[in-house]
Amino acid sequence: MATSMHLSRLRKWFLASPPIEYAISHLRELLVGALKQGPVPQHVAFVMDGNRRFARTHGIETVEGHNLGFEALARILEVCYKSGVKVVTIYAFSIENFKRSKFEVDALMEMAKVKLSQMAQHGDLLDSYGAKVRVLGRLDLLKPDVLEAVNRAVDMTSRNGDRVLNICFPYTSRDEITTAVRDTVSEYSRPLKPICSPSTGPRTPFSESHIALNIQAQRTEHNSDTESTSGSSEDGNGNTKQDRSRNKVYESGSSFSSSTTLHLGQQDGPGTKTSTPLTEGTDTDNPAFVSPETISRQTLTDHMLTKDNPPLDVLVRTSGVERLSDFMLWQCHEDTEIVFLNVMWPEFDLWHFIPVLLGWQRRISKSKQNPDAEGDFDGEGSVSAEEDDGIILRPDNKVKGM
Amino acid sequence: MVSHRDQEVFREDFRNRRRLSATEREALLKPYLPDPSDLPQRKSRKASISRKTPVRTFLKSQIHQLTYTIIHIFFGIAIRFIQSYHAVVDRIFAIVYYHHRTPELIRKDVKGLKRLPEHLSVILSLRKEDDALAVLMDEVAELAAWSTASGIPTLSVYEKTGILKSCIPTLYELVTSKLSSYYGTPSQQPKLQLFAPHHPVYQTSTPTDTDPSKSNPESLTLLLLSSTDGRETFVDLTKTLAEMSQNGKVSPQDITPELVDAEISEITTHPAQSDDDGDGASVFIKPEPDLLLVFGPFLKLDGYPPWHIRLTEMYCTGDTGNGLTGYGEAVEYQGFVQGLWHFAGAQMRFGR
Repeated sequence: MATSMHLSRLRKWFLASPPIEYAISHLRELLVGALKQGPVPQHVAFVMDGNRRFARTHGIETVEGHNLGFEALARILEVCYKSGVKVVTIYAFSIENFKRSKFEVDALMEMAKVKLSQMAQHGDLLDSYGAKVRVLGRLDLLKPDVLEAVNRAVDMTSRNGDRVLNICFPYTSRDEITTAVRDTVSEYSRPLKPICSPSTGPRTPFSESHIALNIQAQRTEHNSDTESTSGSSEDGNGNTKQDRSRNKVYESGSSFSSSTTLHLGQQDGPGTKTSTPLTEGTDTDNPAFVSPETISRQTLTDHMLTKDNPPLDVLVRTSGVERLSDFMLWQCHEDTEIVFLNVMWPEFDLWHFIPVLLGWQRRISKSKQNPDAEGDFDGEGSVSAEEDDGIILRPDNKVKGM
Repeated sequence: MVSHRDQEVFREDFRNRRRLSATEREALLKPYLPDPSDLPQRKSRKASISRKTPVRTFLKSQIHQLTYTIIHIFFGIAIRFIQSYHAVVDRIFAIVYYHHRTPELIRKDVKGLKRLPEHLSVILSLRKEDDALAVLMDEVAELAAWSTASGIPTLSVYEKTGILKSCIPTLYELVTSKLSSYYGTPSQQPKLQLFAPHHPVYQTSTPTDTDPSKSNPESLTLLLLSSTDGRETFVDLTKTLAEMSQNGKVSPQDITPELVDAEISEITTHPAQSDDDGDGASVFIKPEPDLLLVFGPFLKLDGYPPWHIRLTEMYCTGDTGNGLTGYGEAVEYQGFVQGLWHFAGAQMRFGR
């Protein structure tokens, strides 16, 4: 026992001596620079697990373990960004973690607050290095003071581009998926604004009575060819309102779409026809909706918290626990390589990360050389083909054809 | 790489609440930051700098390129050594742990384990040869037999393309014949239920009710999954909910994780009602698998339904094995048993 302690002290002294430190830092730089030469994952996620167990085995306080974990995070972020990783996502705090002891939760919150506000103090420094901090999760569960620090740090760095650090703060993946579903549903159940034809656009301040007269006059001649004009004008409206080009206006396609939505469309049809453009107030009874049939996998992915990030390439979990624990379920269940490492997070460093990166590079360059060998790539192709099928909606074409 | 002295200063900063001021911290940080001119966004300045030291920049990139090549050569060699080591170990295990198609032997292999998964899930991949489907179905049948023998009541098989779902009756035949090669006569065979989401439960009328005392009390529920049960299911759910919401039948606030969980679980636990017999649909399985075995060179979920795997332990048979074959690993008994041992937190040893 005593000898091992002496040895470790000797080792520490040796590693801390200036020449060795200098050599090691140059070696790290060389390795990172070398890694940069090959393909580099664009998006890496870490589950920072093992802080508590590390603290327990090393006889230090839990909070101290978390502090060491933060240092490890800083180390690994440096490696990631220097080697060209665009987005790093870390699992800092799960919604489930609120169940831990109050002392620990408070200490973690305190740490987050301090680190985030320190970050905000160095706003200009972060600016010049272009790192963007984003906090993903249920911010409404945070205490006001922590929330303020979060908002400040996020605002401060929001103008920076290029590199992104996603901090999943009170986060679970199921919550994220549910929120995405809910947001999609509420977006699709928001009625479309009534059609604004060029003559009656909101920007031109015409008198209302005059417009009302115009409607009367228009409606008489309009009724003859309602189908084609309303179809085309609604289509244009849909495109300008939603910038997703796949969206379609509900009733324009309703008569052609599948049986489940048919009756709905018939209900909506006459309602919008009688109250064409301008009777804004009255037409809330039968509002027009975007067809739910246009919801695709991409729509849901666009509502996830990681919507602007490249697809997740590598997910690393430390401490040898081989579960995802409700992290990035939606993002990692397709093409992500999941790696479970048997080190505690505070010990995690470049040396553990390099084999993971090398293995990934090896696989990627191999599959690029010979796409048939891996069997991954044609699979992807078929998926995208499917997706295309889902996106192209026949009603749209037919309307345009008319 | 942060020097020790600075590290100590940094730690003191946090520990003693003797906070450094912002400028002090910046001074501490300065030596470790890369030169701002190295950053790609400062294109104009970078250009001028590289013009100043073209030789040094060139040499640096050459050195990095060289190091990259050397590292990958050595890494490749190391990987191959590890792979051949594991291949040897794998063969030894394959010889030592062979099931000999005897359920008793399989039971003995898992007897000492602290826990067994209640719901085992497997990711298989379709190969590219002509007889790929036959191989795949045989693998499923073998897995079904091993699972029943080791006492796992539920097995779900994920295969990306979903080809298995299109030949449920054939698969059922195959699994029953495989079980008969393990267990003998049909009366001693465990009861088998086979179904896939949106499909009715497939089971033939069992002749076991002639003599209940002799029949095997074990049963196996085999669930077939494919990539359409993943994201596509969520898309369908969202479509339905959006339509209901548009009709005012549900408000977006009602959508909670519990609701989504109930709906998504429904698909895998409650099969579609079959027309001819209503009582066949009584399947109750745990929707969340306890253990996920990936028979492949590395751990990739490949579109596996995401909702239920949040607490699932994952084990990849090829984790340390050969990733060179590329097609994914063969499904072998020692991999299966190793996964179960790993799940129970035990180490496998040479010799039973």
